[in-house]
Amino acid sequence: MDRKLTKRGITERLFWCVLIAPSVLIVTLFIVVPIIDSIIKSFTDYKLANIVRNTAPEWNQFANYIKLFDSGILTDSVWVTFTFVLVTTTLSLVIGMSLALVLNSEIKGARVFRSLMMTPWVVPTVISALVWIWIYQPQYGLLRYLVNIVTFGRVSDFAILNSSKTALIGVITVALWKQIPLMTLLLLAGLGNVPTDVLEAAQLDGANGVTGFFKITVPYMSSVIKTSVSMIMIDNFKQFPLFWQMTSGGPNGSTTTLAVLSYKEAFIGHNFGSGAAVTTIWMLIMILFVFCYNKLFPKADLD
Amino acid sequence: MGGRVMNTRTRKLLLNILKWAVLIVVMLFLLFPIYWVVLTSFKTNMESYLYPPTFLPQAPTLDGFINLFTNYPEFFVYYKNNIIVSAAATVLVCFIAIFSGYALSRIKINWSKYAIAFLLFSQMFPVVSRLISLYGLLRGVGLLNTMTGLVLAITAGQLPFSITLMASFFDAVPMDLEEAAYIDGSSRVSTMFKVVIPLVVPGLLAVGIYSFLQTWDDYLYASTLIQNDALRTLSTGVTLRYLGELSYDWSLVNSISVVGTLPMVFVFFFFQKYMIKGLTAGAVKG
Repeated sequence: MDRKLTKRGITERLFWCVLIAPSVLIVTLFIVVPIIDSIIKSFTDYKLANIVRNTAPEWNQFANYIKLFDSGILTDSVWVTFTFVLVTTTLSLVIGMSLALVLNSEIKGARVFRSLMMTPWVVPTVISALVWIWIYQPQYGLLRYLVNIVTFGRVSDFAILNSSKTALIGVITVALWKQIPLMTLLLLAGLGNVPTDVLEAAQLDGANGVTGFFKITVPYMSSVIKTSVSMIMIDNFKQFPLFWQMTSGGPNGSTTTLAVLSYKEAFIGHNFGSGAAVTTIWMLIMILFVFCYNKLFPKADLD
Repeated sequence: MGGRVMNTRTRKLLLNILKWAVLIVVMLFLLFPIYWVVLTSFKTNMESYLYPPTFLPQAPTLDGFINLFTNYPEFFVYYKNNIIVSAAATVLVCFIAIFSGYALSRIKINWSKYAIAFLLFSQMFPVVSRLISLYGLLRGVGLLNTMTGLVLAITAGQLPFSITLMASFFDAVPMDLEEAAYIDGSSRVSTMFKVVIPLVVPGLLAVGIYSFLQTWDDYLYASTLIQNDALRTLSTGVTLRYLGELSYDWSLVNSISVVGTLPMVFVFFFFQKYMIKGLTAGAVKG
């Protein structure tokens, strides 16, 4: 009996391995190996010439890192990245939650709105950028017109992406436009888990809407909020196409995030070693960030 | 006095006004840009240059679309390439995810825990980091500038989330069904194919549609791993061709936006039920 069990255990393990092998293989070859390889290359002088002539890159005494820190562009882009991620994620949680609460109440047409609101989410990112570049267009754009009306003609040539003060706001707006639908959808699913009888009982006991929301709704939804926020936050950390298309990191580096900086170094400047140094630091930041996030908001017990 | 009654009634009214205000403002923000693009795509190029802009087309025209369909054949090459890449990656993702998801959910050994951690961890890192290295590695094995290389790289990026999502669908299938099949003498493999997999078809659909939307959206992989114009996908093709010098033809650009988005809108609204179920299942479970 015992022998039979272990024999069965072995076949189970073998079967598991066979089933899981293709995914582990692809993920290892196309994600894990490249990541390790890029960390190694971040310590070398690795340029296009190395790839073309197929010569091994040489160790360069942390030159990539030293150059990045000395020029100050790295710290600037860390700052831009954090501003973008924190502002966008917070606003998308607040706006998404407001919309979810409204759609979850017995409001007329909630079903239609629920499905219509998803539209921006299915618009490809590159096309979202096109949509908003057109709205932001400095001469004929809708935004220029609206700003002109709202300020009674005082600001008549508003070009949001052309000023280093407002360009990031311009990109954040588009990122929000694209992600609020998903945020709302996830939060709506979470709201469905909040027991209405508990909320009603609290209301009978005299709790008003705001107290009910913070004391009952939010705790019940904590795991949904946590997972959707971390999902959207990681997406925001990785955001590249919006920046690249709308501002290419400018004006004056005001929208140069880590993603833009690493891409520019590697694929525009063809200095792959320097690009790899940026992504290596970026990875360290991500690990630290996720670690702190998990410490700050420990995972609620689901079971 | 009835003051209290009045009070609750005004409060209810105010709350209602607030609700509608939130709804209208957010919905306008989300939907007006779509209207604006569709509107511009039906304007003549002259009209799209009017300032102040017109909010209804003065003379609706299909010129933008006709122009796109007749003068820009490469746009449809990008389109076709994108369909091929997304479809191939989606099929591959689904095929791999269903077996891996089954293993992670149904074979109760502690290796599964580590495999899930491995997958989730790999997903967290910046894509540019992989690409810097893949550029050299794929070139070395002759896969740079090929659809195969692009599809494999995209598939790898999509796998971790898809597998964990798939596993959560398998988790939802009751164990009893399987055990009943075992008692009837059915083997593990045939139970997997005949009993368990048919029950997760809706989940597989969700994973498939999600992957399709995600891979359709790719820009980074295609822009770095493909340099040959004949192999470009929509995102990179559009950016390189129409965003630079041609960006003065706004009626064309907006027609491109409409044509490039329509398939996604159809896919989404047609499969909406599965999509929403899939996405929320993934997030609510965590």
